[in-house]
Amino acid sequence: MKKKSNPMVKVTNIHKVFGKKLHVLRGIDLEVNKGETVVILGASGSGKSTLLRCINFLEEPTAGTVEVDNIAVTAGGDDKNRTSQILDIRKKTGMCFQAFNLFPHMTVLENVIEGPVTVLGQRKQEAVLYAQELLDWVGLTEKRDEYPSRLSGGQQQRVAISRSLAMKPKVMLFDEPTSALDPELVGEVVEVMERLAKEGMTIIAVTHELHFARDVADRVLIMDHGNWIEEGTPEKIFNNPENKRTKQFLAHIL
Amino acid sequence: MNAGTIPTKKGGIPPEANNVLNQIENRKTLYRRKMIIAFIVLGLLLVATLMVIKLDFKFMLKWLPFVLAGSGFTFLVAFLAIALACFLAVIGALGRMSKNPFLNSFATSYVSLIRGTPLLVQVYMWYLALPQIGKALEDLGIEGIQSLVTLPAVPAGILALGVCYGAYMTETVRAGIQSIKLGQTEAAKALGMTEAQTMKRVIFPQALRVIIPPVSNEFIAMIKDSSLVSLMGVWELSYRAIKVGRRHFQSLEMLIMVALIYWAMCILLQYAQEKLEAYMARGDRRT
Ligand SMILES: Nc1ncnc2c1ncn2[C@@H]1O[C@H](COP(=O)(O)OP(=O)(O)OP(=O)(O)O)[C@@H](O)[C@H]1O
Ligand SMILES: [Mg+2]
Repeated sequence: MKKKSNPMVKVTNIHKVFGKKLHVLRGIDLEVNKGETVVILGASGSGKSTLLRCINFLEEPTAGTVEVDNIAVTAGGDDKNRTSQILDIRKKTGMCFQAFNLFPHMTVLENVIEGPVTVLGQRKQEAVLYAQELLDWVGLTEKRDEYPSRLSGGQQQRVAISRSLAMKPKVMLFDEPTSALDPELVGEVVEVMERLAKEGMTIIAVTHELHFARDVADRVLIMDHGNWIEEGTPEKIFNNPENKRTKQFLAHIL
Repeated sequence: MNAGTIPTKKGGIPPEANNVLNQIENRKTLYRRKMIIAFIVLGLLLVATLMVIKLDFKFMLKWLPFVLAGSGFTFLVAFLAIALACFLAVIGALGRMSKNPFLNSFATSYVSLIRGTPLLVQVYMWYLALPQIGKALEDLGIEGIQSLVTLPAVPAGILALGVCYGAYMTETVRAGIQSIKLGQTEAAKALGMTEAQTMKRVIFPQALRVIIPPVSNEFIAMIKDSSLVSLMGVWELSYRAIKVGRRHFQSLEMLIMVALIYWAMCILLQYAQEKLEAYMARGDRRT
């Protein structure tokens, strides 16, 4: 019998209600194993971003449990321990936003070392060494002393990825990382994500980038009105979708 | 020969571009030169006016050192008061945004009360009314409180100005902090920063940039409002000038002099502000 190790991310029965009755997530379960790349697809407003943001508690789930690398936090409750557990989950979880959200008052290098120095208390020299490695890895060595406003969107997103990776996260969350980019800049960001997946990072990505979903993802999940309606390998989802709404949605984006 | 179609070497600036670059450079120098001339003309006009109204320059020169000796007080009061005001403004702004109902209502009342009453009344409160409160407390049995709150004129002035400007600046700081996009907070949180770290490392440095121009305004206003401490008999700039002017019936000279001194101080501050703003703008696309 194959003994399965604990999943890296385990989301159990998550609900999210905005205000009093906007029920956005309706009991979502998700398990992502170490090294797995998962792509989430779904119509606008179906709750994809909200799910990602519940995983690192940028959004407080209304019910359910989130577990990242064996740290489990349940919705509700407010003991002291919980706050620090949420911080621990965030340290293990990198997130890339559609709008990059680089710190504009810091140079590229300062952006990348900010997490390790401020959050992990690393010495600056040590953080700089690793940051340079990362910038080299995303191909931005020569931009290290530039301010974000002087970079193209694609370059900014690659810096944002490096900033997250500098924390040595266990899992990376991507929320439409390429949808704010001009078409010719999409490739350089997807390429970095692809290499990240190949090097064994655990990835949960919301992206309509078909190449990534089809050729890089291990698994694709379709969300509709806060529920999964279909799940499977990219081949199955793209070639043989079963659900009617999945077919409609794919017809829309293909 | 068709010289125009010969491609220039890759990467080099084509020769015809130099003309344009020169034109831009010339226009800039010309503008700078015209500005200087305009300022000189304005200065000469000012001096001419002062001469036409038969100002007694000798008298002014004679009393200049005496009046200037009061600028120490003016600076002392203004700098300490602005330091206090900045401190209170940051605390006040955090209070105004706090989720703690006690802190929030306390900060809100502070801003409302101070902004709703005249500075002049507040100055007298600190100087004249506070000892009376002290006496009442002393009668209730708190030893030594009366002499503790019976403040000399300068500390009373610093407190009055600092607390007053702190209230106005609270709103400036709060608006500055709230002008920073939510995405910045989210990026900081996603890295695992605590709220305090987020504020200190990400939000506040960016808010500072928004805050500096209005705060410089406040500072300039404060330099001038510091003359209010003369009400309590402190021999600062304006008090000295007015005293001398009255005694010799040459108030015009002394008032013009003291006005010019204040102006010079404020020009210095404005210069500092510009330098600071330029530094703050370092992350901008255009420099
Ligand atoms: N902070 C919020 N307050 C209230 N409603 C919200 C909030 N955030 C999201 N919503 C609502 O929740 C629903 C799901 O939003 P979400 O951003 O998760 O969708 P999405 O699947 O990511 O869509 P998109 O593809 O457009 O990014 C939407 O109806 C949205 O209006
Ligand atoms: Mg979204």
